[in-house]
Amino acid sequence: MHNFAADQLEEAVNTLIAGKPFHPNQWDPQVEPLLPIAAELQYLPRAEFRARLRADLLYRTRHATFDRALSLRPAAQPAAVSKPRASSESVVPPLFSTGNVSFPMRGSHLAISFALHVAALALVAALGWWMVENRAAVRSTLAGLIPTDIYLLPPARGEAQGGGSGGDQDKMKASHGTAPRFSSEQLTPPRVIVRSEAPRLSAEPTVISPADVVLPQSPQAGDPMSRIFAPPSNGTGSGGGIGSGQGGGVGSGEGPGVGDGRGGGIGAGVFRVGGGVTAPRAIYDPDPEYSEEARRAKFQGSVVLGAIIGPDGRPRDLRVARSLGMGLDQKALEAVTKWRFSPAMKDGQPVAVQVNIEVSFRLY
Amino acid sequence: MKAIEPDAHERQLIEAAQRDPSRFGELYESNFDRVYAFVARRVPSREEAEDLTAEVFHQALAGLTKFEWQGTPFAAWLVGIASHLIAHRWQRAAREVEVSADELESFGAPEETERQAMFAQLVDRLPDDQRHVIRRRFLDQRSIRDIAQELGRSEGAVKQLQFRAIANLRNQARSRHA
Repeated sequence: MHNFAADQLEEAVNTLIAGKPFHPNQWDPQVEPLLPIAAELQYLPRAEFRARLRADLLYRTRHATFDRALSLRPAAQPAAVSKPRASSESVVPPLFSTGNVSFPMRGSHLAISFALHVAALALVAALGWWMVENRAAVRSTLAGLIPTDIYLLPPARGEAQGGGSGGDQDKMKASHGTAPRFSSEQLTPPRVIVRSEAPRLSAEPTVISPADVVLPQSPQAGDPMSRIFAPPSNGTGSGGGIGSGQGGGVGSGEGPGVGDGRGGGIGAGVFRVGGGVTAPRAIYDPDPEYSEEARRAKFQGSVVLGAIIGPDGRPRDLRVARSLGMGLDQKALEAVTKWRFSPAMKDGQPVAVQVNIEVSFRLY
Repeated sequence: MKAIEPDAHERQLIEAAQRDPSRFGELYESNFDRVYAFVARRVPSREEAEDLTAEVFHQALAGLTKFEWQGTPFAAWLVGIASHLIAHRWQRAAREVEVSADELESFGAPEETERQAMFAQLVDRLPDDQRHVIRRRFLDQRSIRDIAQELGRSEGAVKQLQFRAIANLRNQARSRHA
């Protein structure tokens, strides 16, 4: 076969489809006998129409009794033919099939579908309303402090913990001595060497710790743990106080307490709940978001975070104590960072405490 | 394709469909091409042909229980319904367009209908690529360029497929006729 004949046949087909007349004699002898065939092909039925009509008829045969009840006139009386109902019906494609199958769309189907959708929307709205009305109950199941949970640090038995440090960036380590009086507040940090001999407003140096803790006192201020007795020094730390750490306390830790811990108190750590220290209470605790990955996997569980709740009620030093994964750890951290607390109280004063917080993720 | 002749098998099909309408599908499959071919040549558009063909089968289904076997082929009964529907439509259209008496009288020509129905069946038996080209070109009226892009072939190759398909149909039609 030559390309010329194929090109000429295509030209003839174009003319046919355009509905233009053509003269049979103008074509190549190879093409001319094919033209009547091409003309016939214009009247081929579409496969999808054939399948659609078959599906429609099948549907009608299943409802033949109903159709007969409508008294459709017999086809032998065309003058009185009324248009069958299906002619005015739309046809919808199948939902779970890729074949040339379709189904007639009836008003009753639409009405049922509409009613089901309305019912579903009403259910969603009712659930939303219920959750808003019972927000507190829902939230309590989502996240919260768990003072009775097994992951909570055990309350101290009889004594509080804490720590602190200070210093004024001296080249010498802090010298030995005793810590100043303990108090629930600190106006002036302790000093071995007083830099200002004539302060305008003097105040007794103190460190923050429970007032019921009593340590031996001596005239020589200093770090009780230091083995350097001379020369006197405030230590290599910063922020006032005595020691090598930061803050206005005594020792190698941070904060206004005594020891190598943080915050107030004595020892190695911040205050803990118990021993006269009350638990902080969440006063603003927005719900954590779900990670998309966990939502798709319908993953549920709890993340336990360790945190220090400061006297200002803000959480800090957040860390994951028990991981859940699927991005929920990060979501829990993001949520708890925004939380605000009524701070822990010691002797009527707000103090920093370490707590564990359980954040639960549940899908409803 | 069989000619329009009554046979015992068709009678059995009709009686089965009268007892159980779900059997109407077999009558539909064996007569669809004939009815469509008859209607398509007598209306100006494909949409109208499909509309009328659907009406023919809907009415046939509705009136099937009243059909009495008198030796007349079922296809003839269907073509009769189609003739009435086309006439009815033309009578309505004649209010706006004058229709000649010759056209109203042209409901015969069964050979033409049979020939057209035969081509519909022959196309289904073409090789896949040839059948695809014929359907896209003549039914969907897509251009050679579009079809070439769909198939990932050159326009020249698609033209040759078209040529082979039509030549193939001609040869098969001649062999059947012989």
